[in-house]
Amino acid sequence: MLYSKKIIAALALLLLLPTWSLALDGNEILARIDKNMQPESYEMYRKLINVEPDGSKKEFVLYSVKKGPATTVALFLQPASEKGRTTLRRGDNMWLYIPNVGKPIRITSLQSVVGGVFNNSDILRLDYSEEYRVRGIEDQGESYLLDLKANSNSVAYDTLKMNVDKKTMLPVTVECYAISGMLIKTLHYSRIKDFGDGLVRPSMLETDSPLHKGYKSVMLFAKIKRKEVADEVFTLNYMSRIDELR
Amino acid sequence: MNSDRIGCCLCLLFSILLFAGPGRVEANDEFTFDLEEIEKKPLQWGGYAELTFEHLDIAQGAALSTLNFPGQPPTTIDRISPSLQIDGSWGSGISSFNWLLKAAGQQDTFGWIDFADVYEAYGRIKPNKNTTIDLGKQSSLWGKGYAWNPAGFINRPKDPNDPQEALEGYITAELDLIKSFDGSLKNIALTTVFLPVYSGINDEFGAEDNVNLAAKLYLLYLDTDIDLLFYTGNSRSTRLGADFSRNITTNFEIHSEAAFISREDKLVLLENNSSRLEKNTVFRGLIGLRYLTTNDLTTTIEYYYNGNGYTEEERILFYRRVADLQPTFEETDSFFQNIRELSLRGYGKPYVGRNYLYARFSQKEPFDLLYFTPGLTAIVNLDDQSASITPELVYTGFTNWEIRLRFSLLTGGSFTEYGEKQTNNKVELRLRWFF
Repeated sequence: MLYSKKIIAALALLLLLPTWSLALDGNEILARIDKNMQPESYEMYRKLINVEPDGSKKEFVLYSVKKGPATTVALFLQPASEKGRTTLRRGDNMWLYIPNVGKPIRITSLQSVVGGVFNNSDILRLDYSEEYRVRGIEDQGESYLLDLKANSNSVAYDTLKMNVDKKTMLPVTVECYAISGMLIKTLHYSRIKDFGDGLVRPSMLETDSPLHKGYKSVMLFAKIKRKEVADEVFTLNYMSRIDELR
Repeated sequence: MNSDRIGCCLCLLFSILLFAGPGRVEANDEFTFDLEEIEKKPLQWGGYAELTFEHLDIAQGAALSTLNFPGQPPTTIDRISPSLQIDGSWGSGISSFNWLLKAAGQQDTFGWIDFADVYEAYGRIKPNKNTTIDLGKQSSLWGKGYAWNPAGFINRPKDPNDPQEALEGYITAELDLIKSFDGSLKNIALTTVFLPVYSGINDEFGAEDNVNLAAKLYLLYLDTDIDLLFYTGNSRSTRLGADFSRNITTNFEIHSEAAFISREDKLVLLENNSSRLEKNTVFRGLIGLRYLTTNDLTTTIEYYYNGNGYTEEERILFYRRVADLQPTFEETDSFFQNIRELSLRGYGKPYVGRNYLYARFSQKEPFDLLYFTPGLTAIVNLDDQSASITPELVYTGFTNWEIRLRFSLLTGGSFTEYGEKQTNNKVELRLRWFF
């Protein structure tokens, strides 16, 4: 009898588990995704590959450092034509430093530093929970579909539809929509990799866009490591010196 | 024109294009990220090699043609200009050494000229996170303006048609202090520059045997970049300036600069053909905006007020005097020499009028043509409505190559700034290979 009661209790617990998951607040899920995707302050290397309809590729390598939820800087290491270009973001403020020009100029989040599908916002992406709030959540069995709305009109994409794997609590696909409701691009995360220090996350992000039919952009991630740097690194005077952090 | 030399340059160029190739690889490879390619080395260097072809249509009878080509100006000039720029750095611990070298040549109707110069060469020490000390030759680019920087007191003047080109620096000692905060004031930075002027050291800056001081206080306050600028010293007169830049929305930026200059020289031609050197207290200002539309058209517009510029009447008098030169004048003629001196020291310099408008429109990748950017730049003298209009096409689709085709048209009647320039129009093809 006692044995049967234990089984019933265990079954009840099992039945309750999904309900608990469903009861998770959408914004908590988003915060957990951010935590799973990267430490709060870190450095990382990325390779951007623009793939054209004829199959040829153009590659860029970036080094970036992020501190807290809303401050990040990215330095182009390759190719030679872009080397030294640096973009800085402090919340809604963005600047671009071009070595020869010598002084940082203010830029906008939708502008593209390099050609192709990626824009500044993709390169200097902040935490999802910093820029978006969850306005809807749909349980799709093995995944959640989050409906995200931008916190302000300064964010590059007004709405995101994010498909999240329940098991890993990592994003799988993200559809990015303009304020008009037009689909601008779709992001596909893949190649889950152990980056060390407990960070297990996708190491590849593929992007396609109906605005650039036949073109595709791929972002590969490497050496994502926790790193603490001084606040002074995220200043205009420091933009020409980001390479010193490597 | 030396056709053999041009032929050699063309052969070299096409060989590079053919064998160096665009540098793109086929996508059927697996996407990989080799960590060796991101390894940091103490010695880093790069740069570009460039070849520019120009065809200039010379304005017959224009004032600057008469002064620059005494006698019979050519109707056209074909020019080929190779150049090489090498930058690099070597770093170890808290110190580094940085350099920027430039060499360029020019072959045209008048022969071959060339130069090689050290644009920058300076050492840097960073004793702590808040302090940086630089010593050596370094260029300063102060101010928020894109085409002009009236508050850039120790800047070299830039070419508004090519504002992104590297400029030669001055030999300076520079101290940079930075501090970040939480709150409305997020960042404060003080840059102090000592600029000596002696024979052979920065002697083109101003009066010799002086050490000058320039300072810039930068604030990031309420999401606005603010600079307060100051210059004092005996090489030039004392100057005070301020600028700001701010994003009104994510796709709309505004900026402005203001400069007050005491006792700035202005050489003026008088009715009796003599000249007068004025010492004026001057205000210069600039206000501008940058706007990005949803379809990726970037518009940059700036209005520039040059308080020490020549009035329309002053410029008309100068152009009339040039027109009065007899067709048979000799270069040794004293009146011609005086007029040419006035041109070199004032009237013939770029942007010496009072009111200018700069407008640049750049459309990124129209019709889904990746890496292809058409643009249009217009610079208008608002006093006489003469203008320079430059449409261009830029293609960056081949890795490490930039191909730019430009056509510059100068419009304006007689006795207007652009109507009296040396050229009517210019076609330019520039091929730049980065390494």
